[in-house]
Amino acid sequence: MLAVNALIDISGLHYRYPGTAADALAGLDLSVAEGEFVAVVGPNGSGKSTLARILGGLAVASGGHRAAVCGHDLLTEPGRLAVRRDVGVLFQNPENQLVAENVEEDIAFGLENLGLPASEIATRVDEMLARFDLEDLRHREPHLLSGGQKQRTALAGVLAIPRRALVLDEPTAMLDPAGQVEVLGAVARERENGLTIVLVTQEMDEVLGADRVVALERGSAVFDGPPAELFARPQLIADLSLGLPAAGEVGLALMQSGRRFVRTPLTIDELLDELVGSGGTQLTLGGVSEHPSSADDPAHGRWEAHTAADSPAPAGDGGET
Amino acid sequence: MRIECRNVTFAYDEGGRPVPAIKGVDLVAESGSTVALLGPSGSGKSTLLMVLRGLLEPDAGVVVLDGSVAADKEYAHRQREIGLVFQEPETQLFATTARDDVAFGPRQLGWPADMVDAAVEEALDLVGLTGSEFGERHPYSLSGGEQRRLALAGVLAMRPKMLLLDEPFVSLDPGARRDLAAVVRRLVESGMGLMLATHDVDQAWSLCDERLLLVGGELVAAGDWDFAGAGAELLAAHRLRTPFFVELWRRLGRPLADAPRTVAMATEALR
Amino acid sequence: MRTSIGQYYPANSPLHRVDPRAKFVAVVALAVALFTRDSFAALSIYGAAALVAFVVSRVPPLWFWRGLKPILWLVVLTFVAQALLARGEAFYSLGPIHLTKRGIELATYLSLRLVVLVLFGSLLTLTTSPISLTDALAWLGRPLRRLRVPSDELALMVTIALRFIPTLLVEIEKIMRAQRARGAEFARGGPLRRARALVPVLVPLFVVSFRRADDLAMAMEARCYQPGIRRTRLHPLVARPSDFVVLGAVVAMIVAASLV
Repeated sequence: MLAVNALIDISGLHYRYPGTAADALAGLDLSVAEGEFVAVVGPNGSGKSTLARILGGLAVASGGHRAAVCGHDLLTEPGRLAVRRDVGVLFQNPENQLVAENVEEDIAFGLENLGLPASEIATRVDEMLARFDLEDLRHREPHLLSGGQKQRTALAGVLAIPRRALVLDEPTAMLDPAGQVEVLGAVARERENGLTIVLVTQEMDEVLGADRVVALERGSAVFDGPPAELFARPQLIADLSLGLPAAGEVGLALMQSGRRFVRTPLTIDELLDELVGSGGTQLTLGGVSEHPSSADDPAHGRWEAHTAADSPAPAGDGGET
Repeated sequence: MRIECRNVTFAYDEGGRPVPAIKGVDLVAESGSTVALLGPSGSGKSTLLMVLRGLLEPDAGVVVLDGSVAADKEYAHRQREIGLVFQEPETQLFATTARDDVAFGPRQLGWPADMVDAAVEEALDLVGLTGSEFGERHPYSLSGGEQRRLALAGVLAMRPKMLLLDEPFVSLDPGARRDLAAVVRRLVESGMGLMLATHDVDQAWSLCDERLLLVGGELVAAGDWDFAGAGAELLAAHRLRTPFFVELWRRLGRPLADAPRTVAMATEALR
Repeated sequence: MRTSIGQYYPANSPLHRVDPRAKFVAVVALAVALFTRDSFAALSIYGAAALVAFVVSRVPPLWFWRGLKPILWLVVLTFVAQALLARGEAFYSLGPIHLTKRGIELATYLSLRLVVLVLFGSLLTLTTSPISLTDALAWLGRPLRRLRVPSDELALMVTIALRFIPTLLVEIEKIMRAQRARGAEFARGGPLRRARALVPVLVPLFVVSFRRADDLAMAMEARCYQPGIRRTRLHPLVARPSDFVVLGAVVAMIVAASLV
């Protein structure tokens, strides 16, 4: 399938770790248009992290029909080197991305590698410090930063080099709730500025703002469509071992025991809507719920800071399943 | 086992400067009870757990274990009956097989070989990593969630009477979180006393009957507060949410005392 | 925890602003000069210069004292050894111990020289941040590139190592505590037993470090790092006329000291 104006155009991508029997990526197709926000979800071992590294030109695919990112061919060495310049990658562990003795030096690292003159580096570093709310931490040493601050510093360092796309590999997995909100907020702002984003995650509520979700299982895509469609498939969500907030877990369990919901609720408001409306006729001929749903409200899940009155962030456990 | 804290205070020494961590803490925790130690990062939860276990000596106050204090002979023995699992405990794995790693603790206690073997098999079973399947695996070949459960087994093999868990669910993927929560729930159901340090209000609600609130090193609330009224205000004052199920029951107009603790219970009640 | 290594004292003094390359070269030259001429007069010039520099540096005396403390035993030992072992006319005797005038003079000179040497070293490390010092060494080591010595890469390695020292210290403490909670004892028995007791700490530390190295390498490549590239710096080392003046002053001092 040829994608017009595709920033990422991949078809039949294979990857096998040396010395293993199975493919980490088995004939994957993926296309991402400029300015799109695509979430990639899947259980452990589904190939998500491998994909993230390949998209950043940091791992070598074993083969594929077509593997073009920003016009560069991922299957050639010069192509991969060029991709590293155009595509930024943010990893899971904030600690293991910071190399320099303080925040401003770390942000400058990438620009120094490009051989830019000191004055240009300084301007760009100032820009990044402001953009990611790190100005007060300019001279702070990395071991004195919180998890969220470290990850924001790493993000600033990745984006200090102007990029055409940003790939994030489970960027909030090791952060506390406050840090998660900080980092996702920063990503949302970049998205608003038109940056193409590929977010690899296992948490369903991080998928909310995405244009499309691609679900991977054992190296190939089992779903590719808008988030709303994935939310309407509770069994798939359960099969993929994806993390849902408590409202979603309850909704999922109720749906699996026979209740008819329009969609998987993610917030307490959505759950209440479903519960209250579920008894009577909810679906009209057009399949649209009569009840005003908070689904259109962008203030969801981890993307916005919570107050005591809002619905909670994901609970840790799912009880007996 | 009964752990009592009386007016316990502790400060860290950072290059000569004292950094206060906990101040004047009074609490009681017993086998068979489940206590959540709630509080934001930096509130002193980890420090308190280490003081209870005896890894840190309080600057003031006493920790009483089953009636004995630091000066008593049996005190050290009692301390060893408390199992403490640190944050991200998989970093403590060092042996070449899962069994060997779990056996470290019992061996350090000086137990005879057959007792060690029995304890190891038991512990592996308790965490869902049965010896036959996982016993000879190299710890680093396990997934993150499996490693964490292996580290927990390492502590359980020492047959503790009370289990202190420091933020056990942090950095786990959703599947691993579910597995670990099931393990903890089984342990609690079999009578293990639990103290769970967490910043997650929902975890605290789901796994524990009692909730202590630690802010800035001081205990601002203890017991099983009622979330209606004063309890809710207290949470809000410290910028903590009400647990999801409590809020759900409140919005549904149902009595808060009946609020379910787990998804399964909630599903049952809502069907 | 204020600073990572504990030797750098940030302040805004003329000495702090001197180019780190000049400071390094000056200290090395002074150290050599100190030991090639034995004269109280020369030593007093160097001593006076050190004291003036210490005042100009705006670093509190306590920090210099901290630098001196570790070698205090050596200073005292030097003094005592020289005082007792020197030959000459004894002015005081008690059994086998003879104190001579020359002995006391020599002892004083040698101990003071040691102190002045440490003062010069401290002046360097207290007024120069580790990263500036690393940059200076990288620049000074650049000619070695012709001998295939990767001086820039080595400098980056040192920078990264320094950055992770505080992190490692915290991790070591965490691992030790976790193993202690499992009954490990690190302070018991002879050296062999203690070494073996460290295995549960060292193995996880190695694993964490190797994983870290992997992650870091990838993060660096993601920011366009490659060994062998010519990197620019956010705060490049810029030599100013004042730096040459300082170097000139040091040379003049060495010459003067060799003539008195």
